[in-house]
Amino acid sequence: MNKDNINIGIVSKGRLKNFTENLLRKRKLKIFSERGERYLFGKIKGKSNIRVLFLHAREIIEQLSIGNLDIGISGYDLLKESEINIQKKINLVKRLPFGYANLVLAVREENIDLFTTLDLDEVADEFRKKNKTLVRIGTKYPNLTRSFLYERGVTNFQIVKSLGATELMPVIGTAEFISDITSSGQTLKANKLRVLNDGEILKSQACIFTSKINHKKKGLKNLVKLLSK
Amino acid sequence: MKSKNYNKVFNILKRKYFRYIELDPVIESKFILQRSGENFKKYLFSFYNSDGQELSLRPDLTISSVIRYAQSKSNKKEKVFYTGSAFRKSYNQKNVVIRQIGMEIFSSKNENIDDKEIIDTSLKILKSSRYRNSKLNIGNFKLFELLINKLQIPQRWKQRLIKFFWNEKYFSELLKRLESNLDIDPVAVAGDKKMYSKMIKLNQKKIINGRSYKEIIKRFESKINDPRQSETGKKSAKIIKEFLKIKCSLNNAPNILNKFFKKYDLNIFVNKDFFPIKNLKIKDTKFEFSTSIGRGREVEFYNSLIFSLDVKKKNKFVNLISGGRFDELTSKYLGLKKVPAVGAAVNLSNYE
Repeated sequence: MNKDNINIGIVSKGRLKNFTENLLRKRKLKIFSERGERYLFGKIKGKSNIRVLFLHAREIIEQLSIGNLDIGISGYDLLKESEINIQKKINLVKRLPFGYANLVLAVREENIDLFTTLDLDEVADEFRKKNKTLVRIGTKYPNLTRSFLYERGVTNFQIVKSLGATELMPVIGTAEFISDITSSGQTLKANKLRVLNDGEILKSQACIFTSKINHKKKGLKNLVKLLSK
Repeated sequence: MKSKNYNKVFNILKRKYFRYIELDPVIESKFILQRSGENFKKYLFSFYNSDGQELSLRPDLTISSVIRYAQSKSNKKEKVFYTGSAFRKSYNQKNVVIRQIGMEIFSSKNENIDDKEIIDTSLKILKSSRYRNSKLNIGNFKLFELLINKLQIPQRWKQRLIKFFWNEKYFSELLKRLESNLDIDPVAVAGDKKMYSKMIKLNQKKIINGRSYKEIIKRFESKINDPRQSETGKKSAKIIKEFLKIKCSLNNAPNILNKFFKKYDLNIFVNKDFFPIKNLKIKDTKFEFSTSIGRGREVEFYNSLIFSLDVKKKNKFVNLISGGRFDELTSKYLGLKKVPAVGAAVNLSNYE
């Protein structure tokens, strides 16, 4: 890879990909791929020094932190979930008007006695006394969930890391409660889950990030300016 | 020079019949996790052995010493001391390694006598140090428990306030909730009542995420039937805030506390037994009482006496010795047998 090239990371699939491509198109940055749509490497028409890499949203954050990407469009939630040494190497340039979602704490709807994190704490204590084990919270966001619960004094729990379909965890018995990202709340509702009254962990949206590693690349400043217009 | 200094402390402890013990530098992580769930995990230097067992460098010497005693079959009173380092990630950026000499009395039979012995020994260690100006600050967690149990608030709120006393930041959040919002959101409750009517007709033994329908319904009913009134919440929060501001000389503490309890008609009387110290006249040492001592530190296992002996070092008071009574540490936090215990730790970085 030519070290003078500017590398932009965008999400490889889903709604975030479409929104990001629209944003680039509006800025007259047309992405094209030499080997068809499934090829995960693109270019910008008329800008031979810019490369577009289609990556997983989490991967974009990682690659920004090591300087393989100069610009990345990904979720705010993923930046905040990443380790502190990763966060330190990334600038948040602009919050974009799409990709809105909330990270929330949810319980099965039968838990009618659970209104707030205070209830969760009490139930977690009772659970530990009764079952001699800690209550499990399934999530793809262990760091954010942990610090949110610590701040509210909830400590009697263990995190079970989820790799997908977190909403299923309370149903199949791999976790008692979950924290998950939701935009409309429909998936949670469909899976008979409800959000605690004070269970909003983080408000997230898509953002433009830049790496702090190679910030002096030629043309980078102008490109960032154009994207964040 | 340093070891000579330690010898002074060792000799004082030996003369008081404390027995020297060696502590393991690592402990099974499960003991820490049982104690505080995830809370302590962030401080641990952990690793796995070849059997997959998670071990941690000891983050606290008191925990190591009490685990050692609780796992032995002894029920006899034991007076021990030890020295070594405790290791905590980000406990304080300067102090990842905390060096201490600790002393403990396990299976203590007479609370007052043993509490007094720990305080007296601490004062002897102070005398052996190079510091002249000092202050001994004493508090007693039982006073707070007595106060909370007299307030007109639901039982679950009493338990919450007692549990989170040590967590200053979250405690003030709780007080805000206590004095303002009602516990129950009427809109959410209306929705939940529908589910309640459905659940009450079903098999009460059905388990949802480790809890039976019966348990869930019982807790729901108790919340609905025992809502907190905002007026009593406001009044209770005011009393608690005022109580936590009490700070005075130890000599005046019983009077001031009794006046406070009388003012709010709480029917609590405090005598000098709460403060296990008789000689309040030591040259250059101030004896103080505070209802908030220890808050904001990680000492949630203290259940009664708590004290801190601070010395003036370069025009600033720093901690030399701190300690207290922790009768419930083993049973409540570590899942082991109950060991009534009192102890203290000398902070070696300030003793030298």
